Amino acid sequence: MIEVRQLGKVYGQTERYLALADVNLHVAAGEFVCLLGPSGCGKSTLLHLVAGFETPTTGQVLADGRPVRGPGRDRVMLFQDAGAALLPWQTVAENIGFALRARGIARQEWAERTDRALADVDLLAHRGKFPSQLSGGMRQRLQIARALAVEPKVLLMDEPFGALDAITRRRMHVVLLDIWQRTRQTILFVTHDIAEALILADRICIMSVGPGSAISHDIVVGIDRPRDLADPAFAIKAREIEAELMPDLAPAMPRSA
Amino acid sequence: MLRTAALTTASVIVALAIWQGLSTYLFNPFLVPPPLRVIATAVPMILSGEIPRDVWISLTRVFVGFVSGCLAGMVCGVLLGRIRLLHELLDPAVELLRYLSPTAMIPIAVIWFGIGEMSKYFLIFWGSFFIVVVNTTAGVMRAPITRQRAAQCLGASQMRILVSVVVPSAAPYVVTGMRIAMASAFMSIIPAEILAADSGIGYLLEQSSMLLQTDRIFVALLTICVLGFAFDRLFQFLVARTLARYMSHIALT
Repeated sequence: MIEVRQLGKVYGQTERYLALADVNLHVAAGEFVCLLGPSGCGKSTLLHLVAGFETPTTGQVLADGRPVRGPGRDRVMLFQDAGAALLPWQTVAENIGFALRARGIARQEWAERTDRALADVDLLAHRGKFPSQLSGGMRQRLQIARALAVEPKVLLMDEPFGALDAITRRRMHVVLLDIWQRTRQTILFVTHDIAEALILADRICIMSVGPGSAISHDIVVGIDRPRDLADPAFAIKAREIEAELMPDLAPAMPRSA
Repeated sequence: MLRTAALTTASVIVALAIWQGLSTYLFNPFLVPPPLRVIATAVPMILSGEIPRDVWISLTRVFVGFVSGCLAGMVCGVLLGRIRLLHELLDPAVELLRYLSPTAMIPIAVIWFGIGEMSKYFLIFWGSFFIVVVNTTAGVMRAPITRQRAAQCLGASQMRILVSVVVPSAAPYVVTGMRIAMASAFMSIIPAEILAADSGIGYLLEQSSMLLQTDRIFVALLTICVLGFAFDRLFQFLVARTLARYMSHIALT
């Protein structure tokens, strides 16, 4: 579904900064992949390139076999700051309507589709509110509902729950997994939280620190869903990933992989 | 709300009382006529239709110049804010020309348009246009990129993004620009009418000055204050009634 080949990205004209060097990534249809790495490792850059907001310096991105030339509604991006992405002058329902209009859905279907999208994220009771009247978690749910309304094949999520408190974030994981298991959309999810990646992903791609970041490890999670944080397999995987991310701390921990 | 109204009224009454005291006991009442005499002068001027006529003429000029200046300013501002090449080409010109106040343009406006209505429309247009252009351009350029990209992902066309995302995002800037432009319009109409008109509030000021009728000058000055204040309030009221949802979101982003 998403194919990234020998992708490189250089910023700046005079002072050149090599953000990404030779990134290769394959995400199969229906797969849930997390890009994991510390801040500044270029995972958001990679996501922006897949979204088509920026153009690669070298290499290419293919979506569904076709080269990405710009943003398209087959790949909807979900931003960390949902408040900035939504239209603050429109109500919850009107924000969904904006997406339906952009998608070219006939107006008589709007009411039914809006209700369905809002029901999916449990926001039906808040349809008349403005985004400023919603909590951070509700705003993020609205952003997800808006994306679902255009039925994208791929969801690109840029640390969407990074600004939420830990409890709300756990709730959002359940909401997202529930939606994904029903729709089987392809999800590429950026995070710097090891536990979040382990809870969500089929596969975790670890990115090395820049300049010239690339995907250093590709780990299949292989734990059955629903996943239990208390499951020993979970702790073993977490330790394995920590060892990859922080090899300098590795001697203190037994390596399992 | 009631408290604000009461305080405003009290403030006006206190100011009038101080003025009355100062012009009675400190200043020469011919040079600074006391408020009671100004009111006594104003009433017949209002009843005879003199003030309403001048007010109507001046307001018409302000309205035509302001509305056309705002509309042209918004269109140009959106284009300048959206089309990079246009901005690079025209922004220096805008930056230079906006220092020419309407007053500076009076002599050439009289030569171009005579002392008829057109010269006044032009001068008010000139004063409003640049303020609205600069503010609209800034608002359009600052429309959050995340909001535009999110809309783009959902499949919105460039036109739809401009109309439904960029322009509404710029609304607070545009409205601020219009409000400053309206104040400018009320300030520019007076010199324009003093120097190049045979009617309107400015002309009333000019005539009263030549005849040393200080009480009539004060009536004209008070009229300008009341008009400017009333129209600014009316503007804010209309904005609150029609554009509230576009104005309140600044806190969110």
